[in-house]
Amino acid sequence: MVKAFRPVNLDEALNIRKENRVIPIAGGTDLMVQKRRWAGLTPSFEYPLLFIGHIEELRGIRIQDDRLRIGSASSFNELLENTLTPSVLKDAISGMASYPIRNMATIGGNICNASPAGDTLPVLYSLDAVLILSSLKGERRIPIEEFIKGPGITNLKDDEILKGIEIPQYDFDLYFYKKVGIGKVTSLSKISFLGLANITDDRIKDIKVSFGAVAPSVVRSREIESRIKELDREEIVKEFNNIKEMYSELIAPIDDARSTAHYRKVISLRLLEAFLTKEVQ
Amino acid sequence: MKEISKPIRKVDDQDKIEGKVRYIADIEFEGMLFAKTLRSGRPRARIRSIEIPELPDGYFIVDANDIPGKNRVKMVINDHPFFAEGEVNYIGEPILLVVGPKKETIFEIIEKIKIRYEDLNPILTMEDAERKGKTFIDYEFTKGDPDKAFEMAEKVIEDEFRTGYQEHIYLEPQGVVGICEDGKVTIYGAMQCPYYVKGAVMEGLGWDEDRVRVVQTTTGGAFGGKEEYPSIIAGQVVVAALKTGRPVQLIFDRDEDIMVTTKRHPSVTEYRVGLDGNGRITVLDINIKLDGGAYGGLSGVVLQRALFTATGVYNIPNLRVRGSVLKTNKVPSGAFRGFGAPQAIFGIEMLMHHLAEKLGRVPLDFKMDYALKTKDTTSTGGIIRGEVKLPEIIKEVEKMSDYRRKHKESRKFRGIGLSLFLHGCGFTGKGEESIKGKVTLRKKGKDVEILTSSVEMGQGATTTLRKIVSKSLSIPITQVLYDNPDTERVPDSGPTVASRTVMIVGGLLDSAAKELRERWDEGDEIEVSKIYKHPGYIKWDDKLLKGDAYPEYSWGANVVEVEIDPITYEIEVLGIWAVYDIGVAIDERIIQGQIEGGITQGLGYATIEVMDSVDGELVQRTLTDYKIPTSMDFPKIESKLVRNPYKYGPYGAKCAGELPFVGAAPALASAVENALSVPINRIPVTPEYLLEVLSG
Ligand SMILES: Cc1cc2nc3c(=O)[nH]c(=O)nc-3n(C[C@H](O)[C@H](O)[C@H](O)COP(=O)(O)OP(=O)(O)OC[C@H]3O[C@@H](n4cnc5c(N)ncnc54)[C@H](O)[C@@H]3O)c2cc1C
Repeated sequence: MVKAFRPVNLDEALNIRKENRVIPIAGGTDLMVQKRRWAGLTPSFEYPLLFIGHIEELRGIRIQDDRLRIGSASSFNELLENTLTPSVLKDAISGMASYPIRNMATIGGNICNASPAGDTLPVLYSLDAVLILSSLKGERRIPIEEFIKGPGITNLKDDEILKGIEIPQYDFDLYFYKKVGIGKVTSLSKISFLGLANITDDRIKDIKVSFGAVAPSVVRSREIESRIKELDREEIVKEFNNIKEMYSELIAPIDDARSTAHYRKVISLRLLEAFLTKEVQ
Repeated sequence: MKEISKPIRKVDDQDKIEGKVRYIADIEFEGMLFAKTLRSGRPRARIRSIEIPELPDGYFIVDANDIPGKNRVKMVINDHPFFAEGEVNYIGEPILLVVGPKKETIFEIIEKIKIRYEDLNPILTMEDAERKGKTFIDYEFTKGDPDKAFEMAEKVIEDEFRTGYQEHIYLEPQGVVGICEDGKVTIYGAMQCPYYVKGAVMEGLGWDEDRVRVVQTTTGGAFGGKEEYPSIIAGQVVVAALKTGRPVQLIFDRDEDIMVTTKRHPSVTEYRVGLDGNGRITVLDINIKLDGGAYGGLSGVVLQRALFTATGVYNIPNLRVRGSVLKTNKVPSGAFRGFGAPQAIFGIEMLMHHLAEKLGRVPLDFKMDYALKTKDTTSTGGIIRGEVKLPEIIKEVEKMSDYRRKHKESRKFRGIGLSLFLHGCGFTGKGEESIKGKVTLRKKGKDVEILTSSVEMGQGATTTLRKIVSKSLSIPITQVLYDNPDTERVPDSGPTVASRTVMIVGGLLDSAAKELRERWDEGDEIEVSKIYKHPGYIKWDDKLLKGDAYPEYSWGANVVEVEIDPITYEIEVLGIWAVYDIGVAIDERIIQGQIEGGITQGLGYATIEVMDSVDGELVQRTLTDYKIPTSMDFPKIESKLVRNPYKYGPYGAKCAGELPFVGAAPALASAVENALSVPINRIPVTPEYLLEVLSG
């Protein structure tokens, strides 16, 4: 038997969370698969479940204080259908899973599952997403890259729930997104790459580069980005080998059932090259 | 029904679409118990001890000790034990069943059982097996004088190809229920071969045939995966039912099914080619090695088909063809659509492509120089009797695909490839003769029932067989009845394999129907039976492997066009064109289904279906990591049929089930080769492999 709580609102959810050791479950598309046993048996969970997918305060996509605010329990299909969702995020989502899974799967689940192959993560890193974590003590805000610590590891506290995601409104002149999977649909990423840039007078004013599935968590380096900023197109080509070298040190992929470390490394650097020396040009 | 080929609605469509059909997992028998298998976690080991916790009331352990008859599953080589006996030879080998009323409790018992192994040195690669001379079976035959031809050759070229595992991923995983009542056992389950299951259970129990009954339940796909495997689990549940006195259900989860059931044999094919001064092939030496896994099963017959298909559609005067099934401590390989032919056709087609490239010829023209013609002799000295319509097939496929222009204009990262192939219809060698398939038609009032052990598994047999009988009797199809086979009611028409159902079984039904039509007025209840006999001209020597390996052949050509992503090396298929001679289609839409399914499955085999084994363990064990194509992966397939009636097939039908699979992989791989100008020597052609090849 699985014990479960189904709170009516966030407050009740946070109370339960504080009083009990529970596992939050939103769409369940990660949890139900990870904990599956024999067909006909319910999955086995170490602690009671806390259903949160239906909670009003965790839903909705809106602009608030000039920032886009996405409820953590927004499903991928809701995000796809909403006009406020940035098109880079839509692009990543439309390459994820399949329609029925996207009806259930939530963006909060993708973040808290913290898989190196989580497909919204490179986008959220590049968009400087900030997570809003709720507990009875109140809310705290934390940039996504500080929240995700490694594969399946986050700094979510035992009494917290991810309430929402805040994304500053950016406009980009250029963006380049590529997910490499096995086959065209319903496949997890071998590699994903997102590059965003703003260019004025031939000079890079702003650039954000993220790599997914090639390290324990998303690779994004503000330090390297700041060195690319203010370069003009020619300088980028000249500097490319140095830039590549720097990223190469951060990209630490593994061999697994879906691809090889070698492929992941070589191809992700090539995607970088294509972005900086072709797309940006 | 005017024209037999004209599509009708598949008779089982409606119920399947509405979800009314009950598969084995949907059927509950009174008092039924569940079973779960405890399996070997070692590739090769002696079992030192098995520690069983105290069992709650009503729970049982079923293992080798409970088998009253022979603890070997009857296949072709009878070596797979129902339950391991003191030693295990692959990871996943069944050791025992835990049986009882509650899955939760069964699960807990399984977790508590402790096995102590004494590890033995396993053989984990084909190379290692070869070095140690571990084979199940070896064959060799020659044509002409290969030694002399090599001596005379101006030039000798060598090449080698590899193919990987492929998993069936039938929609419905394996499942059976065994029931023991009044000194008799009954097995219900998903299967292709009710009489194989019956034979295996008889041997396992040591019982005679009237005490064993097998009923096929509606089967959700099989592709060969339910040819020999169900015999293993049927034996297990029957013994469990015998021990517990209750019906016992054993149904695999998907992950378990992927891990432990048979797969397509990985292969290494080696070629030596002798060319004369004009660059003409005078002699071929072919060596085909298949990874059989831990038990022989029917791998020997798979090897035979591979060898008899080794020269593809080509007539080469001097040949040495040999091969072996290697024994490794891995999950046993087994039957899978194509049955050895896909590995052979991939090798020979890629070889011909490589030779054409080396000699600066258009691959199609080069291939046509050697194409078999009517009355030519096959590699085993048989005779091609039917009209060979390859030229017509090629003309069609060239026109549809614009092959020649595209081949000439191919540029970096975009290419076109072509394959020519054939498939021997029906069983290999003496198979049909020794099975002697039998069918019966039973007239009852105005209805006629088809009694055959051929099963419907999604391929359309209930529709096509009914169509044949309905037309031959000139009665409406609604008056032709056909139920899932029950060995108590149907004769042994042979298994539903080897693309034999329409041509062989359908042919028997056609002649039974024609006799029944003559005798229609004799009474209200009439039974007509027919037993298969090869056409008189067929000669086959099973020892020398000489003669007609197959009664007839179906033919085909595929063209595939690809574009390769210059950054990621992902392959995008731009177009697929296919033309076949399958004699006459009994139903064009069902054939279209076979074509689209077969090609898609073949392209999956060629591209994304990666399955590796490391230390005897499969790396890709779930549908997350082992992916099969979806309808989004490939473009629409354009196909055509060239009519070429076969005298002994019903309405001229030959074979069609496996044919569409075998040509897809070499067409794709040669297109990739054409796009990248590097030799491709293996499938699956993954981006990872291309990166390796392209960086030298
Ligand atoms: C067939 C299939 C295909 C898939 N394809 C993809 C793909 O292409 N790309 C991809 O990235 N993923 C894919 N996934 C994985 C999965 O769908 C996503 O990771 C999804 O976003 C998970 O969301 P969920 O709501 O279902 O998470 P759940 O399973 O409900 O939860 C996942 C984890 O997050 C925690 N959690 C969830 N919400 C909160 C919250 N608000 N606060 C605190 N903790 C929370 C849970 O406790 C759990 O640890 C696929 C899954 C399946 C089954």
